[in-house]
Amino acid sequence: MTAEAQRRRAFWQVLLFAAGLLVLTAISAGSVYLVNKARGDSEWVVHTIEVENQINSLLLELRRAESGARGYLLTQGPDFRSDHDKAVAAIVPALDKLTRQIGDNPAQREGIEKLSAAIETRLGQFAREMEFVRQGEVDKATALVREAAAGNTTTTISNLANAMIREEERLFRLRSENADRSQTLAASLTGIGSGLVVVLALISIWLVRRSAQARDDAENRLRDAYANLEAVVDERTADLREANNEIQRFAYIVSHDLRSPLVNIMGFTSEIEELGGDIFRRVSSLTHVPADGPPLASGEVALEGADQQLSADFSEALGFIKSSIAKMDRLISAILNLTREGRREFQPEKIDVREFVEAIVSTLAHQAAEAQAEIHVEPLPDIISDRLALEQIFSNLIDNAIKYLKNGVPGEIRIRGRTKLGYAIFEVSDNGRGIDARDHQRIFDLFRRAGTQDKPGQGIGLAHVRALVRRLGGTMSVSSELNAGSTFTITLPIAWNASTRNTDR
Amino acid sequence: MTQPVTIIMVEDDEGHARLIERNIRRSGVNNEIVSFENGTDAIKHLFGADGSGLSQKGNALLILLDLNLPDMSGIDILKQIKENKYLKASPVVVLTTTDDSQEIKRCYELGCNVYITKPVNYENFANAIRQLGLFFSVIQVPPAAT
Repeated sequence: MTAEAQRRRAFWQVLLFAAGLLVLTAISAGSVYLVNKARGDSEWVVHTIEVENQINSLLLELRRAESGARGYLLTQGPDFRSDHDKAVAAIVPALDKLTRQIGDNPAQREGIEKLSAAIETRLGQFAREMEFVRQGEVDKATALVREAAAGNTTTTISNLANAMIREEERLFRLRSENADRSQTLAASLTGIGSGLVVVLALISIWLVRRSAQARDDAENRLRDAYANLEAVVDERTADLREANNEIQRFAYIVSHDLRSPLVNIMGFTSEIEELGGDIFRRVSSLTHVPADGPPLASGEVALEGADQQLSADFSEALGFIKSSIAKMDRLISAILNLTREGRREFQPEKIDVREFVEAIVSTLAHQAAEAQAEIHVEPLPDIISDRLALEQIFSNLIDNAIKYLKNGVPGEIRIRGRTKLGYAIFEVSDNGRGIDARDHQRIFDLFRRAGTQDKPGQGIGLAHVRALVRRLGGTMSVSSELNAGSTFTITLPIAWNASTRNTDR
Repeated sequence: MTQPVTIIMVEDDEGHARLIERNIRRSGVNNEIVSFENGTDAIKHLFGADGSGLSQKGNALLILLDLNLPDMSGIDILKQIKENKYLKASPVVVLTTTDDSQEIKRCYELGCNVYITKPVNYENFANAIRQLGLFFSVIQVPPAAT
């Protein structure tokens, strides 16, 4: 999967999450708003019902007052009168309350004004009726009732009240509808919102599942790649091993076959040398034909002038040839020895390194004494390794340390050791002439040397030591400065495992 | 009766053969030297057409053997010689350029009498050959058992 796709998916997930959050917020806000609205609407509905109720109770009080008045008119009973008075007393507050209640509705306000006027008229009539009755002028009162009936005040009031009730009923229907609509809206909003959230959740789940799938795929691929890697590493290792063996064989055959013609060259050079000797003896005997003296003793060469020069040139040429052959032979032998070392099987065994190094030091004691060097062997960790290889490593390093001391300065060579994480670290340090930093790599190369070339050597020792250390699964390094001594550090596994490295064969 | 020893030299390098011969002669050994430049011819000569070695029965031989031959390994020839009842008494001198200790050991195990490394240091080589010559002239190779 590409990084681009990953980014895109992450973006989509964030977007989805944001959308979900937004929807939820919208639903909450909408719900709160709508619920509030519904509550308002319901209050209005209740209000309408209350208003209706109030109108009805007002009418009821009016009728009570009327029937009280009539009863009083007929019987002059005080019960009726008090009934009437109570009803009249209730009418005015009821009317006031109604006026307050419908204060918000201009249409109803108009109605209530008319109603108030009609009721006032009626109340006036009541008052006069009652007054007449109290004064005993029942006739007048009756006439007044008749008049009131003719004036139709009660009907007017009824009509007005009915109109108001109708208006309130209309409002009730309207407000009920409003409330219903609000509630439906709230329900729909919640429903739709929930639906949206569910859809978003489903999409999220789908995305997450797809992510999980992608991750599983990636994991599988990773596992495959890892398994492949192992195989590839094995393959490469086998290739390298093969290549290494090839080089070893090549070096062996080349050096071996180079030696054969060298034997001839050297052999016949020696033959030529002898022939040359014979020739110059002959020349000598021919040029020194003694006329008077005794002949020269055989084998004695006495040449003069140009002949002597010839003989010297001849010897010089042969000398160069022979020394070159000798050098070439040493190099070939070195390569042969190296390849032979490379082919040798290691035999790991437990080695008491300190004792072992002290034994090597004692074999070098003579050289050390000649160089006025003191060798200190500090306690060294024991390891399991190849004895012969280790001997070559240490004797080469100690030998080098003795060999390259500073002239005229008493040498001090120290062999230290410690362990770290399954490896033993050995240090061979000296206070000798040291190695220039730019030669630190070079000294490990075959046939290469550094510094003043005043000691015999082929430039093989360190190359050989490093090859051995590597075969033993270790590493080697040098730290040194010119004229400030050198420290060679070897890191070797504490327990060398034959199976890991003998497969190099 | 004694019989002059015949020297059989198996050496593919002409130069080496010449050097060896010269040094043997120089050391005063005048025995007949029969040279072979490859293993096949040498085997044919030593073991005869039938490969039994009967043709060499009773002949006193000294074999100089190079290990690196173009057609076979000298070690195989050494092995065959030492396994043949007519030839096994003949001394075999192995001459080779390698001083590989494994190879030397193997040659001695197979019954080689002397192993000489052909050194580039010619003086030593010449000495070794001369000593060998002296050795030839002094010893009397016993006739092979009949």
